[in-house]
Amino acid sequence: MIAVRRLSVSPLQLAVLASTALILLPLGYVTALALSADSTVWHRLWTTRVPELLLNTVSLAGAVALLALVLGVSTAWMVTRFEFPGRRLWEVALVLPLAMPTYVLAYVYNYLLGYGGPVEHLWQMVTGPQSRILSPQSFWGVTVVMALDTFPFVYLLTRSALLSFNVSFEEVARTCGASPLRTMLRVTLPLLRPSIVAGVALVVLYVVSDFGAVSLLRYQTLTYAVFQQMTGRSDNQAASILSILLVVLALLFLLTERWFRRKSRFYQTTGRYRAPQRIQCEWWHATALTACLATVTGLAFGIPAYLLMMWSLSSEAQAILDARFFGFIWNSALLSSLAAAAAVLVGLPLAYLANRKPTWLNLGCLQAAYAGYVLPGPVAALAVLVLFLNVMPFLYGTVIVLIVAYVLHFLPAGLQSLEPSIQQITPNLEEAARTLGLGVRETWRRVTLPLIRNGVIVAWVLIFLQTMKELPATLLLRPVGFDTLAIRVWLEASEEYYQLAAPSALLIVLVGLPALALLLSRDWRAA
Amino acid sequence: MTRKETGQLDGQADLYQPTSSILELRSVSCAYDPRRPAIQGISFSVREGEILCLLGPSGCGKTTVLRAIAGFEPVRSGQIFLSGRSVSSPSETIPTEERRVGMVFQEYALFPHLRVDDNIAFGLHHLSRGERTGRVQEMLHLTGLEGLERRYPHELSGGQQQRVALSRALVQHPVLLLLDEPFSNLDPDMAGRMRQEVHALLRRTKTTTLLVTHDHEEAFAMADRIAVLNHGCLEQLDSPELVYHIPATPFVADFVGQADFIPGKIRQAMVHTELGEFPNPLNRAEGTSVAVMIRPDDIHLTPDQSAGPRIVGRQFRGSENLYTVRLPSGQVIHSSEDSTSVYQEGTPVEVRVSATHTVLFDADALPRSPNIGQRGDSKPD
Repeated sequence: MIAVRRLSVSPLQLAVLASTALILLPLGYVTALALSADSTVWHRLWTTRVPELLLNTVSLAGAVALLALVLGVSTAWMVTRFEFPGRRLWEVALVLPLAMPTYVLAYVYNYLLGYGGPVEHLWQMVTGPQSRILSPQSFWGVTVVMALDTFPFVYLLTRSALLSFNVSFEEVARTCGASPLRTMLRVTLPLLRPSIVAGVALVVLYVVSDFGAVSLLRYQTLTYAVFQQMTGRSDNQAASILSILLVVLALLFLLTERWFRRKSRFYQTTGRYRAPQRIQCEWWHATALTACLATVTGLAFGIPAYLLMMWSLSSEAQAILDARFFGFIWNSALLSSLAAAAAVLVGLPLAYLANRKPTWLNLGCLQAAYAGYVLPGPVAALAVLVLFLNVMPFLYGTVIVLIVAYVLHFLPAGLQSLEPSIQQITPNLEEAARTLGLGVRETWRRVTLPLIRNGVIVAWVLIFLQTMKELPATLLLRPVGFDTLAIRVWLEASEEYYQLAAPSALLIVLVGLPALALLLSRDWRAA
Repeated sequence: MTRKETGQLDGQADLYQPTSSILELRSVSCAYDPRRPAIQGISFSVREGEILCLLGPSGCGKTTVLRAIAGFEPVRSGQIFLSGRSVSSPSETIPTEERRVGMVFQEYALFPHLRVDDNIAFGLHHLSRGERTGRVQEMLHLTGLEGLERRYPHELSGGQQQRVALSRALVQHPVLLLLDEPFSNLDPDMAGRMRQEVHALLRRTKTTTLLVTHDHEEAFAMADRIAVLNHGCLEQLDSPELVYHIPATPFVADFVGQADFIPGKIRQAMVHTELGEFPNPLNRAEGTSVAVMIRPDDIHLTPDQSAGPRIVGRQFRGSENLYTVRLPSGQVIHSSEDSTSVYQEGTPVEVRVSATHTVLFDADALPRSPNIGQRGDSKPD
């Protein structure tokens, strides 16, 4: 036992405490602002906006979750249980929608399904000139757009669960006299439930915090309302009240999911694993499967991507590809690189210390860093805005405010790839280096960093790509006249200048594609 | 022996359906992708109430046989009959759920989302609730699982999990029970106890059983008859005693226990070896090179200063001492002696063989190395 311990705090510990403060302070300020509000403000909001907003948000989340569940599970089943020509292609293609930010898909569907759009033309040719189709700017319109954009979460998780599924369970069910259908309903699907629920949880969080699609499709949710309060009414107090509601809603939902997952956590009692064999398909069966998968990927990615390309090649779009446009690209790239670097620098000490010295303080700091998980973009922006207005007003309107908001918002994504890479290297390696005469710093430079380098790079790339397509925080906090690609898409699309929005949108989608490779290989959660 | 017996079965099969045979395989072959084992021309039948054991090293195809019988693998040629009905042939594979076979997987495959009683009742959904509960209770009683019915599988010990798996298979009164390495996930102590327990239970319920294992001790303890498989072929099908004492091939001899092969030559109707003369039961021709298989328990050592053979190693095994002895020619043999007979290494000993029967193999049937290669995964005793 060491009797006396030097009472000194390592620089690493200080860095961790500082970053935690950076994360918690904005939240504290927003909460304080909301709670300090006059009761009449609460009352006014509670009686006018809140019931409608809550209902809209919850029902949208529910409907999208249901649709994404059906799409995700069925497509995952098709590509894992059947063998047909092109299966591997579809396996990858089904992830592509994730490269498309919701505001891009929303704006394409605004055109496709909108008044006087091509689908309406087709429809009226069939059913007569007066008939209407599903409007994109309705509950079901938003639901379809969001479900097409988010079902890959469910797909990815269900697929990986199906691939690692121990087929002995199904075989033993068959020896108990169960038909294939009964086996699927009573054994396979119940065992996949934890993965499916995790996928649906991602979808719901995504929907609740989405700003792009609901703003373009003019559907009132809590997230959109926070944004409107900040911009339209410049009422930060009302915005912070709505934000608190939103965070509580997200937290409630997360806790439910955690509880459910703990309840239905299944322990594999088995050691040996036998992979399922895919069913060889007849030609007609293969055709039917291909048609299903082509419809889903076509609607979610193929048709929108095709339209974006056509629009980008139009003369209107070509005309805006000037120095200004490259300025937007530069702005996006600069912001994203800075945000990614900052988030990695903040996240690395947090993850490292929490894993190497898991004291309650360090673990608490790490948990705090995950707060961004339940902070939708506008809320993160509001929190950082309130902090800076109170503490350092002179920084307001600079890129620094924006970067802080990004770090707050995207740190969880970075941590999710930093943490495993640190957990993977055993402390013995560092200890071995110390016994070989290396100092703390040398050990870090020559042993730890090289080993976690890949995790750091992945974290950086993921945050870079996320920031690239981030919309609401950028809209709210950017310096005057500082436009990024995402901003341009949103601004042009809001005015229904479809062609003008296309080049920026296409670029965002293209840049987003590499993230999918990462996603397919390992770190699906982070993107 | 083997070859003859299976040959007879083939001949009989065309003439009549033996009513007492629950399962019959007629020259069944399976082949799929080259990575996995295939079986070739396997024929045997299992009589009602019998416990038959498929024994062989891993990769010999024994699990494939089991999976083909359960209907998980299609057969490429040959036919499988269950209760006289053809269930598998190259043209038709009856679905597993219509075969009425029960199966216990090596890893039990208990449904982790169902409690013990729901696991056991899984195959009884066609019965009324009352009947179902009755059958489950009866099974719980039979396997000593009373009081555990509301537990989840992960809350059970290994032995209890196995009992649940067994109950789940037996509760539907299968015509044939398939056990795939059922004791390999238990620690040796538990495995021994479960063997006895399961054996008694199968006897009591008169369940026709096919058991797959790589452990010859398990096969000896459980089986009425043993079928030894190697490289996808049936090498011998006999009672455990015959398999041990009169193995049909050098592989079987070596796989089911320690065996030494002493080279010899036929002269004057006797086998002449370094350890003396043996009768020539197969009437091999004069001058043929042969090998005599001898088990360590048939070799006895007496210390003798003038003797040529020397002890070069001793392994204490509790109930016996296993000695390694080098003969003057360099040939190495093994002898099992009493637990209390302790001799130093290097002691010269006289070697005496007391076999009641002689097992002869052609010298060229033996593999090169004195220890036949595939012993690797048979458990050390």
